[in-house]
Amino acid sequence: MSAPAGSAPLPHRSVANIRSPPGAGHHPSGPSTPLRPIPSNFGSPSSLRADEEIIIVEFGTRKLQVGFSGDPAPRGCVWFGPDQQRRVGDFREWQTDYRYDWRRAARHGDSWGRDHELWQYDVRGVDLGLVGDKIERALSEAFTKYLLIDSRPRRMVWVLPSSLPIPLLSAALDSVFSRFQPPTVSLLSSPIALAVGAGVRSALVVDLGWSETIVTSVYEYREVAAKRSIRGGRMLVEQTHKLLAKHLPEDQGGSESKQEYVLSFEECSDITTRMVWCRPRQHSDDDQPASGSLPTVQEHDDAEQPGDSPTPGRTSTVTIPLKSWLSPTSLELPFNALSEPCEDAFFDSHYSHTSFDDHELPLPLLVYRSLLQLPVDVRALCMSRIIFTGGCSNVLGLRGRIFDEVSELVRERGWDPVQGKGVEQLRANPKLKRRGVRQTGESPMGVSSPPGDGEEQDGVWHDAANTAPEADPIEEQLQRGMDRRPRVQGELRAIESLGAWSGASLVTHLKAPAVAAIDREVWLQHGAAGAVRASDVDYKAQRQSLGAGGLMRGSAAGSAWTLGVWGAV
Amino acid sequence: MAALTPYTYIRCPCSDVSAPGRPLDGSSPMAAAADDNGAGDDDDRTFDPRAPRSNYSLYPLEYLLYCEDCHQIRCPRCVAEEIVSYYCPNCLFEVPSSNLKSEGNRCTRSCFQCPVCLGPLAVTSLETKPDPSLLAAPDNAAAPHAGPYALTCSYCHWTSAEVGIQFEKPNGIHAQLAKLRNGGATRLTAKERKERRKDPAYRTQAAAAPAPATAGGEEGGPSSSAEVLDLETQFANLKAFYQGQLADPNSADSGLAALSDLGFSSPTSLSRIMSIYTGGGWQDKKAKSRVGAMREALEPDEGLQPARLDESAAIDRLRSEGHGATASAAQLRDQPPNLGEAHLHGRARFASELRPIPYLLRTKRSKRCPVCRHIISKPEAKVQTTRFRIRLVAGSYIPSIAVRPLPLSSSSSSGSGGSASGPAVVPGALLEPLRPAHYLLTFKNPIFEPVRVTLGAPARTPGRFASKVTVLCPEFEIDANTDVWDEALKESGERDRDKDRRRRRGEEGGGQSSSNNPHHSQLEVGKIWERGRNWVSIVVEVVPASLRLAPGDPPLREDEDVLEIPMFVRVEWEGEAGGDDVGAAAGRDAAKEAREKRELAYWCVLGLGRIKQT
Ligand SMILES: [Zn+2]
Ligand SMILES: [Zn+2]
Ligand SMILES: [Zn+2]
Ligand SMILES: [Zn+2]
Repeated sequence: MSAPAGSAPLPHRSVANIRSPPGAGHHPSGPSTPLRPIPSNFGSPSSLRADEEIIIVEFGTRKLQVGFSGDPAPRGCVWFGPDQQRRVGDFREWQTDYRYDWRRAARHGDSWGRDHELWQYDVRGVDLGLVGDKIERALSEAFTKYLLIDSRPRRMVWVLPSSLPIPLLSAALDSVFSRFQPPTVSLLSSPIALAVGAGVRSALVVDLGWSETIVTSVYEYREVAAKRSIRGGRMLVEQTHKLLAKHLPEDQGGSESKQEYVLSFEECSDITTRMVWCRPRQHSDDDQPASGSLPTVQEHDDAEQPGDSPTPGRTSTVTIPLKSWLSPTSLELPFNALSEPCEDAFFDSHYSHTSFDDHELPLPLLVYRSLLQLPVDVRALCMSRIIFTGGCSNVLGLRGRIFDEVSELVRERGWDPVQGKGVEQLRANPKLKRRGVRQTGESPMGVSSPPGDGEEQDGVWHDAANTAPEADPIEEQLQRGMDRRPRVQGELRAIESLGAWSGASLVTHLKAPAVAAIDREVWLQHGAAGAVRASDVDYKAQRQSLGAGGLMRGSAAGSAWTLGVWGAV
Repeated sequence: MAALTPYTYIRCPCSDVSAPGRPLDGSSPMAAAADDNGAGDDDDRTFDPRAPRSNYSLYPLEYLLYCEDCHQIRCPRCVAEEIVSYYCPNCLFEVPSSNLKSEGNRCTRSCFQCPVCLGPLAVTSLETKPDPSLLAAPDNAAAPHAGPYALTCSYCHWTSAEVGIQFEKPNGIHAQLAKLRNGGATRLTAKERKERRKDPAYRTQAAAAPAPATAGGEEGGPSSSAEVLDLETQFANLKAFYQGQLADPNSADSGLAALSDLGFSSPTSLSRIMSIYTGGGWQDKKAKSRVGAMREALEPDEGLQPARLDESAAIDRLRSEGHGATASAAQLRDQPPNLGEAHLHGRARFASELRPIPYLLRTKRSKRCPVCRHIISKPEAKVQTTRFRIRLVAGSYIPSIAVRPLPLSSSSSSGSGGSASGPAVVPGALLEPLRPAHYLLTFKNPIFEPVRVTLGAPARTPGRFASKVTVLCPEFEIDANTDVWDEALKESGERDRDKDRRRRRGEEGGGQSSSNNPHHSQLEVGKIWERGRNWVSIVVEVVPASLRLAPGDPPLREDEDVLEIPMFVRVEWEGEAGGDDVGAAAGRDAAKEAREKRELAYWCVLGLGRIKQT
C-alpha cells in the first residue's frame, strides 16, 4: 500500500552501523564528511554546545510542532498552506488587492484544502521531493522564528503517526538529513508518546486526526493493534461546507458554473473550528442504566432534543459572516444545524451498523471494535485509559459523545465478537449484563478494581475460543511483586494526555532510547533500503500479524537498524 | 488581471543536489519519485519553473549571497548561520543567550502584541486617558498615573481589561501576566503549587474535597485547581513521577536503563505481546520479569489527569454568544502555548480567552559559506543598527538581468510585418497568443573582469501551454565593470565610443550588418542588440501559447497565464587565482600566470508578461 507503484520491495540489507544506547557510540556531533560535495550546514565550535539541545518535531498532516526536549510544550507550530508554498520574495499575499484564487485551485483535482496539507497517505502521484521541500521550509521557519537556533547540527526526535507510509518518511529524512544535518533522527510513534504523556503504560489512543481517525491500542508501551476510519477533520470541514452551501441562495451562474465548492477551504475550516459542535447522545427508552453513568451529559441531553430551545424564550440562531462567497454575506443558521456536520462526518447514525465498510466505521463503532478485538487483559487496561487526541478532539462535545456511545455499545453488546439477532436476545438476559459498565465518575483514579475484576466483567469474551491464557503465574507474581498498587481496569475511563509532543519531550528528557534511531551517515549511504524490517531486527516472526506492531531500535547483536513500525514496505 | 512587471528569479545551484547525497538506485522510493515527477534536477533536463518544487529553489537576486572563495552563489538554504545577538523587535533590548533556555523565546519585559490584530499593545492607566509619552515607553517606570493598568491596542482598541486582566504596576507586565488568568483570577506558579502541595494543611483539605467526576463540569476555581492540572503542572508531576520510578531501588533495574527495557525498545516486550496473540509461552521469562517494574501514574500528583468530557457549558455559551464571541483560527494560532491552561482540550476558543502575545525575540545572524567556512554576511552586533560589517551580495558578482518589452512597432512599424507586436509595447499589457513578441534582456556585469555569457533556453516552455522561445544571441561578452572615474574619462569620447560599440556589435555576430536599419538588423540570429560600458542587451523572441482549454481540462492555475521562460546561464571569466590555491611565496609576477578560468552556471526564470486569455 505504501510503496510507489512499480517499485520492488526493499531488500533487507544489513548495515554495520547502528545506534547504540544513548550516550554511547552515536555519531559524534561536529563536522562530518558529506558523501557528495553537497553544501553542509555544520557550524563552527561555539561556547554554546548545540548537541545538548535535542529538537523534538511532531509531524501532522497540517502542521509541524517544534521545540526542545524537556520543555512541557512545543515552542512553535508551523501550519502548511498556500502562502508557505510561494517563492521567496513573492509578497502578493501582503498586497491589499490580492486574493488567493481558491476557486481556481479547487478545480484542480480534489485539491480543495489539499494545499493546506503536508502530505496525503496515499502516495500514488505524490511529489515526494515537494514533501521534503515543504518540511524543510517549515522547519527552517520554526528554527528561525520560534527556536532561535543557528544551523549547527542537532539531534532530533520525530513524533510520527505509526501509519505514515515509508516513502513519506523517507522523503522527510532525505530532506532533513541533507539540509539540517542532524547526527541522528530518532523516531517515536505518537500513540506511545501520548501514553507516556498521560502517565500510563497502556492506553486506547483515539486520534481524531485530519485525514483519518485511528484508534491504537497500546499495551505496555507497545502498539498492539490499530484500526482506522476515513472519518476525520477533512470530512468534518467538507460537511461544514455542505451545510453552509445548503443554506446559501442558489448560484446565479446557472449550469455553466457548476462549482463543487462555493466557499473557500480557509473559511470553512475556520467556521468548523469556531462554531461546529457535537450533540450529546440521543438515548432511547431502554437506555435507563446508561443515564446513570454520565449524569451531567444526560442532563444536558434533554435540552438538546431537536426543536427544543435550551433556554426558553431565546431563539437559537447564529449569524455567520461569509467572505469567500460570490459576494460577502452573512448567513443565519439555527444553532442546532451546526451540529449536523459532526453527525454526518463521525456518526452517520441513520445507517445500520452493518452497512459500513471497515475503513468508514462511525467512530463509536470504531472504538468499540478496537476494544473488542483485544485480548481480555489488554482490553481491561485499555478501556480504562482512553486518550482522545487530534484536532477534532477540540470539537465541543465530541469526546463525550463518543465516550457515551461506546459505553452504550458495551452495555448493549458486551464483549461478544459474534453479533446477531439471537446473540442480542441472549444478551438481553439481564443476568448476562449484570455488571455492565461501571460508573466512570465513581473511581476515576486510585481506587480500582481488584485484578480479577476485569476478567469477571468480560465473562462473555472469555467464552470465545481464541482468548489468551487466563492465568499466567509469572504475570500474577509480577503484579504482586512490582505493582502493589492496583490498577484501574475493566471500566471505561478517559484520561488526558499532555499530547504526543510533550510525551516525546518526557521520553527524551528521561533518556529513554527511541524506537528507531537513524544515523545520518548511514541514511545518506543507504536510505530506507538499508533498514531492516523491524521483525528481522527484533524477532523472527511475522510482524504483519501484529498490526502496527513492534517498536524497536536495534537487535541485541547490534548488526542492523530499523525504521520500526514505519519500516514495513 | 493585474499588470505584471517583468521579473527575474535565480535558482541556486544547491538545489541540484538537494536530492539525497547517496546513489539513487531503483529500489529507493526517492529514486522512483524523482523519475515520476521529473523536477529536472540536472542540467540536461529543462528546469520547469512551474513545477511546485521550483518555488522552493528560486530567489530574487537580492536574496542571494556569494562566496568569493568558492565562486558560488549561496542562497538562504545553503548557508551556515550563527547567531550574533538575540533581541526583542519591540523594545530593541538585547537578550543574553543564557536567558533563552530559562525564559523562553519571547520578550519578558512589557512588550506585547494585540491578540486580535497583532498591533503593539501599550500599557495604559485605567484611571485616566492614555498618556502619549507612556505609549511610547511601555517600560517607563516613572509612570505618572496610578493603577490599575491595562494593555491597550491603539489600532483595534482591544484592551486587556476586556478579558479581565489588569495590572497593579505599569512595568514588569510579563511577570504580572504570568500570574493572572483571564477574568482576573490569580494562578499559582508551578513552584507555588509544589510548595502548596507539601503543606499538610492543604493536603488534608484537598483530600476532603470530592474527587472530580470523569465527566464533571467543574469550573477551575483556585480552590479546586489542584485537581485540574494545568499543562505545566501535569508535565512537572509526570516528570517527577517517572524520575522517581526510574530511581526506585525496588525496581528490578535501577536507573535510566530500566526504562529502555520497559518497552521503548526491548525486543523482549514484543515477544511478550506475541505470546498473547499466539497463546504460547514467554520467550524470555527473565526479561519479562522486569516488565512492570515501573508502575503507571495513579493520581494527579503523579501526573494522571482524568478527562473532563462534559463540555455542555461551553456549548451553551457558544449558543448564546454566537460567532462573534469566538476567536478565529488565525488568532488562536498566534497565541503562544499557555502553560497555565488546564489542558489542550480546554484551550482558548472564545475571544475572551485570548491573551496578550509577548513579542517573539529575533536574532541577528552571520552567515558562512558551508563549504569553505568563510563569512559571507555579518551584521553589526548593535541591535539598533541594520548595517552589515560584511555582506557579499550575489548582485556584486553575477550579472543582473533586466527584462523589458521591446517597442519594435514604434521604431520599425513598416517592413517588419508580423514580427512587430503591438501589445507588447505597453509595459504590463497582455501578450497576444500566437503573435510573436520581443523582449530586451539587459545583462549587466558587476565584476572588474570581462565575462563571457552563454545562454540556453528550451525552444518551447515546459508546462501545459508551450510558448516558443528564441534567444537571438545566446553567446556574448560583457566588458568589465570599470571604475567610475575611468568611465568619466571615456565620457569625452562619447561619439567614438558609440561608433566603437556599433562596430563591435557587428563583429560579434560573426558578420557584417547588411541593413541600414539598425533595429531590424539586430533581430537577426547571433546579433546583440546594444552594448554599453559593462552591459549588453539581447533580444528574445517569444510566440505566446494559446491558453485555450479543451473541454474537460482543468482551468488555469494561479499564474499559469504568465509567460515564464527558464534560461540556463553560464558565466565564464578569468580571475586571479584564489589565495588558497597559490602558495604564499607567489610574488606579484606570478600573479598574472596565476589567473585562472572560472565558471558559474545556474538556471534562472524570466517572467515576461501575462498571456491574454481568449
Ligand atoms: Zn543555495
Ligand atoms: Zn521587548
Ligand atoms: Zn488590536
Ligand atoms: Zn565558500
